Amino acid sequence: MGELTPVQAARLEERRKRFRSFPFFLKIAVLIAFLLTPFLFPSFKTVDFMLKIMIFTVLVASFDILLGYTGILSFGHVMFFGIGAYSVAMLIGKYGSPTYVNLVIGFMIAMGMTSAIALLVSFLSLRVRAIFFAMVTLAIAEFAIILATKLSGFTGGEDGITVNMPGIFKVSFTAGTLLGIEITGRIVTYYLIFLICLALFLLMVRFIHSPLGRVMQAIRDNEPRAEAIGYKTFAFKTSSICFGCLVATILGGLYVMWVGYANPESVLGIPIMLDVLLMVIVGGMGTLYGGLAGAAFLKFAHTFLPDLQKVTKSLFPDAVFLHAIMERWLLIFGILFILVVFFFPKGIIGTLQEYLRGTGFKKPARSAREG
Amino acid sequence: MAGEILKRKGREIVIFSALLLGLLPLAGMDIKTYLTLTIAGFAMGMMLFLVASGLSLIFGLMDVINFAHGVCFAWGAYVAFSVFRYFKKLVEAESLFQNSLVFIIAIVAAILVVGIVGIIVERVLIRRVYGSHLFQILITFGGMVVLTELIRILWGPNDEVMPVPVTFRGNWDIFDIIVLKYPIIAIVLGLFVFGVIQIVLKKTKVGKIVRAGVEDPVMVQAMGHNIYLLFTAVFAVGAGLAAVGGMAMAVFNLQVYPGMGDAYLIFAFIVVIIGGLGSITGSLVGALIVGLSYNYVAFLLPPIAVGVNILIMVVILLIRPTGLFPAGK
Repeated sequence: MGELTPVQAARLEERRKRFRSFPFFLKIAVLIAFLLTPFLFPSFKTVDFMLKIMIFTVLVASFDILLGYTGILSFGHVMFFGIGAYSVAMLIGKYGSPTYVNLVIGFMIAMGMTSAIALLVSFLSLRVRAIFFAMVTLAIAEFAIILATKLSGFTGGEDGITVNMPGIFKVSFTAGTLLGIEITGRIVTYYLIFLICLALFLLMVRFIHSPLGRVMQAIRDNEPRAEAIGYKTFAFKTSSICFGCLVATILGGLYVMWVGYANPESVLGIPIMLDVLLMVIVGGMGTLYGGLAGAAFLKFAHTFLPDLQKVTKSLFPDAVFLHAIMERWLLIFGILFILVVFFFPKGIIGTLQEYLRGTGFKKPARSAREG
Repeated sequence: MAGEILKRKGREIVIFSALLLGLLPLAGMDIKTYLTLTIAGFAMGMMLFLVASGLSLIFGLMDVINFAHGVCFAWGAYVAFSVFRYFKKLVEAESLFQNSLVFIIAIVAAILVVGIVGIIVERVLIRRVYGSHLFQILITFGGMVVLTELIRILWGPNDEVMPVPVTFRGNWDIFDIIVLKYPIIAIVLGLFVFGVIQIVLKKTKVGKIVRAGVEDPVMVQAMGHNIYLLFTAVFAVGAGLAAVGGMAMAVFNLQVYPGMGDAYLIFAFIVVIIGGLGSITGSLVGALIVGLSYNYVAFLLPPIAVGVNILIMVVILLIRPTGLFPAGK
């Protein structure tokens, strides 16, 4: 081997430090928390809460690939989530039977449709201006909602589709007890979804650190320059969009496997899109881990806002206007969204990272690598 | 060979094929229905034009895609709704003069209120994020959500029936073809606004500055004009136009509901993409295309009516990515 160059030494140092740093322990702790939830807090409410945080974390991270890492704003991300949800629900619910094969076929059809739509939309709108993408995706997402509600013979309309799970994912399935906890189909599903979410998340982390991901960040920061260096920015953007949307589709299918139904209100629609946007902004654009912070924050807010409403009602029983405002939680989220975009654009994780980089741990390796 | 013909006779071919496409729905309906739908389509197109022209103008001058534009539309409808409820006597009176009076009061009120909302939105929200498309979209999207929720708080979350002035109701019977009165009024209103916009833009000094601003805002500023004041003014006018469109549409559809802004924002986007962002004529043509095709398809196959509009947008994006009448920049 011989003598290490300074750059190599610095990288080695960084690699060793990576497994002792504070963020690393935090990630492991979160992972263990998700892993142990069904055993520590076996009530359905807690498990459901954690699972939704999990799914939304990965959904927000996949949205972050588009928004934070490629600089493309899509309003159709929830639509792809919905495509996954509806296609799985149709295959094992309305037009098929709950078997494993149908489940897999459902996912495959959803992914095929997503790729086709994502490719089509990017071919159409990215050629002209990047902002067209936001407009076109909003139009198509709205159309998807109209289709889902109006074609009630095909999609079940407002009520949506209710499904039963096959075999070991069935709610009534049991396989004895372990550590005092009954292993039901719910638990099996929880761990399956946990594993897939983890795999998808790691895949995304890998994706953004790959050469492809680096080019995307270059495009985000300075597109003309990336183009001048010789990258076909269009191809890179398209692949980023397809990747992000495919992850969203898979998550949609998983979501249906957990909740057991798909309807326009729960898997399509502007409120969910606003949730995802808010999660990404609150967590921090361009961090991936921001998804976790954002999803946890928003899910907590959703759970505790009704309590807050009750508190305001008991404190100010006469303020009718205030009650009206508290009833409209979307208003609060909208204002929060604007405030965060203005005053806190880096989000929780982004600010934290900046803080760690600036004061906490001095990293000589970073300057060697970036300089 | 084919290219040469296209070059020489391009305009004629386009007009001819547009006419043919316009007659195509006749295959699925009889001629009376066709004429009724055409008038309704023109009326809807005119109202969409009112929304889209503001959107287009704001983009052309300020380089801002305003996602809160649809909500200005809904606000216009609700303000007019309140005016109609307040002047119930004038609405219910069977005199053309009183009905027109209340209609004009509603228009003025809608323009004023929504113009002020527009000024607030521009000053508070958009002013801070000039130059960054991403943040503009995020901020205006947030503004859209907040303003929609404010409608729900101020006017209640339910659908309401929009009152229509008495003499505007009913229809004329011309050679057995039933012509509704209100769509004609809406068409006249739209054409009037189109004319006013064109005259202001082409013949006045302010219009000249705005057109110059569309070409090159920095240069206009260098010539000593306060471009930011102009931005605010154009934004307010755009919001006011959307409000008139919203009011006209609410009377047309006989209802107001808080989510109407979102639905018509989509139409407005399709219109400006078809017509070309920043062009007023493009907005008119795009709006007519969308209005007509929507009405024909909604008669034949209701659920896919919006889908056909999206399809038209897709085709236009394929053959002319900058829209039919690209403007400036």
